[in-house]
Amino acid sequence: MAARVKKVMRPPPRIADWHSAVALLMGFWVTFRHLMVNLFGFSRGRQDFTVYYPEQRFLHAPALRGMPVLVQMEDGRERCVACGLCEWACPTSCITIFPAETDDQVERYPRVFDIDVSRCMFCGLCEEACPEEAIVMSRQVEIAAYSRAGTLWHKDDLLVPVAKLKTRIDYLRANYGR
Amino acid sequence: MGEDVRIIVDGRAIAAPQGATLLQAMLDAGLDIPHYCYHPKLSIDGSCRLCSVKIEGMPKLQIACNTTVRAGMVVHTDDPDVAQTRRGVLELLLLNHPLDCPICDKAGECWLQNYSMRFGSRVARTVEPRRKHGKRLDIGERMLLDQERCILCRRCVRFCREVSASGELVIYNRGDRSVLDIADRRLDNAYSMCTADICPVGALETKDFHHRLRVWFFTQTASVCPTCANGCNIAIDESHNRIWRLTPRRNDAVNDTWMCDAGRLNYRFVASPARLRQPLALRDAALVPTSWTEAIECAAAHLLRVRDAYGGGTLGALVSPHLTVEENFRFGELLRVLGTKQIAMAVARGPSDNFLIKPEKAANARGVRELGLVSGADDGLGSLIDAVKAGRVKALYVCGDDIVRVLEAPRLAALLEALELLIVQTLEQVPAFARAAVTFPTTTFAEKSGVFVNFAGRAQRIMAAIVPPPGWLNDGEIFTALLNAVSSRQERFNPEAVWAHIVDSTAQFSRLTLERLGTQGAPLSPAGAPAAGQAPAT
Ligand code: SF4
Ligand code: SF4
Ligand code: SF4
Ligand code: SF4
Ligand code: FES
Repeated sequence: MAARVKKVMRPPPRIADWHSAVALLMGFWVTFRHLMVNLFGFSRGRQDFTVYYPEQRFLHAPALRGMPVLVQMEDGRERCVACGLCEWACPTSCITIFPAETDDQVERYPRVFDIDVSRCMFCGLCEEACPEEAIVMSRQVEIAAYSRAGTLWHKDDLLVPVAKLKTRIDYLRANYGR
Repeated sequence: MGEDVRIIVDGRAIAAPQGATLLQAMLDAGLDIPHYCYHPKLSIDGSCRLCSVKIEGMPKLQIACNTTVRAGMVVHTDDPDVAQTRRGVLELLLLNHPLDCPICDKAGECWLQNYSMRFGSRVARTVEPRRKHGKRLDIGERMLLDQERCILCRRCVRFCREVSASGELVIYNRGDRSVLDIADRRLDNAYSMCTADICPVGALETKDFHHRLRVWFFTQTASVCPTCANGCNIAIDESHNRIWRLTPRRNDAVNDTWMCDAGRLNYRFVASPARLRQPLALRDAALVPTSWTEAIECAAAHLLRVRDAYGGGTLGALVSPHLTVEENFRFGELLRVLGTKQIAMAVARGPSDNFLIKPEKAANARGVRELGLVSGADDGLGSLIDAVKAGRVKALYVCGDDIVRVLEAPRLAALLEALELLIVQTLEQVPAFARAAVTFPTTTFAEKSGVFVNFAGRAQRIMAAIVPPPGWLNDGEIFTALLNAVSSRQERFNPEAVWAHIVDSTAQFSRLTLERLGTQGAPLSPAGAPAAGQAPAT
């Protein structure tokens, strides 16, 4: 099959793309602007320039790709059916799944579902591959651990109730053409 | 078959034997023609219509699987009509097909998935609900049926009629009411799991592989079934250094595309927790784990002690029909250096049929005989037993535990009782061998490479699919280490080199280089008295 070619319009080149001196000056201007805002910004009504983490936390936009987590349905079970597509899609091979059978109508569930957080690069390909909307990129970014063992998240660590993931799921449906 | 005929397919000339079906001719020429119901080892059904092609001079499309090649035939498979027909066939098949791919064992090797992605349409036009039918039906000891997934190609039905000749499966009703089910008895024939191989979709699934692992994680290794003397060609599916499944590999000279259920299921012993993972040595009437080096030294010292005290003739050996030709050859060298005369082989026997299953439940008994290690109708077993009873043999080196299944327990106990020294090499700890001075763990077919000779004298290669733990010695390496310890040799065990040596030195194996054996094996040279100077071991 011949690859289909899609022509995209690129913006015409600007002067700055050609003259390094101009680009340099533009860079200085950005730095200078930030300096000014930081010096005089308070007087213009800006309250805060620093989030006092961890006392304060920033609520990331739904587009943020944080820790991939498993969707837990209302009945407490995972939505994942252990199809293995995320495991296959994952470029860093950090997902390990061993399926098993259930009497439930879906027949199949992940007996083991591990993500090695130290290898995950938050690319979101697992989320895109999943046919069941069962693994999503949460806003969870606090993933540091004291030991290597702590960076291996098991199924119980990964399960997050579906209600808490609503923002991301809505975002996915709206933006990924599902 | 007569002369080859030449036909033109998509402007390319291909040759096919007279009388061949067009589909097979095109497949043999490397063309990828989609098809479901056609199977090279089953009768023609012509029910799926997916193999339709355009043949010049014929008004309508023809199914390639039921068309015989004719000289000068001009065939088009790249015609828009053909593409449209394929799309149509696939759309009709998908009308009622459940969206089970995420939970279907066949996903990844499913012909419906593959063909739909390549030849089908990406949009569904139906609005009607899908047909509901039986799911996960328990239709046999080892088989499950999902009627919704079935595409009614009747391969399984023909298999049960033509190959296993048991006729369990039938299709009831007609048209879009057709449904596959078992007839008056359950699908329990000795080859029932082959239906899961030939089912192009996931309608027939084996219980053994149900919801186990995705097929795309497997590395396949070409090997040979270790379970009986037929030597069916198999593929070992490995992942995470474990075997998940054995499937038959086509070899028209041995097993066509089939294998028996018993052979297919005989792989779990490889990962069995009961397996010996370390050599054992007898200390104060108890078997204690010991290091490999120590075990080798200890065994060599014992063997030398008996030989020096009573002479090499008092050493006996039971060779294993499960070890490769190379390993047995090396064992033969060791025995020759020690001066052993009494060599025998015990081969467990079991049920057989007149299709694939052979009575000898070991893969390489013939190979041992061809090496000349054992002779006689009972492979020297009777004479060895007599020699032990008469006290002429005082030490026995036992490879494998077949003897436990061949001799009744009291006779075996009496035999081993009479010995002064026992060295064994087994998969698991066997109570009968509790007095063994040294027990070595043996290596399974999946962890080493080598050659097996099947009952008909066909030499076939096995290949290592999984890696044993570090420091592990396989059987050939144990024999070699012992050989080095009892002689002044400094050898290593390299199966390829040993095989090359066997090919050079043994008449039956002459010219059978590993390249020549390939993945399909080759028959041994006709048996004849080995020429002078080529006398085999011992
Ligand atoms: S986000 Fe990317 S790297 Fe992380 S688990 Fe998913 S696919 Fe793998
Ligand atoms: S892709 Fe989705 S359903 Fe499949 S194994 Fe991953 S999380 Fe589970
Ligand atoms: S069960 Fe499989 S092999 Fe049998 S008719 Fe259906 S699709 Fe064909
Ligand atoms: S017939 Fe024998 S060699 Fe073939 S699969 Fe069965 S046990 Fe293995
Ligand atoms: S393969 Fe020819 S009709 Fe099915």
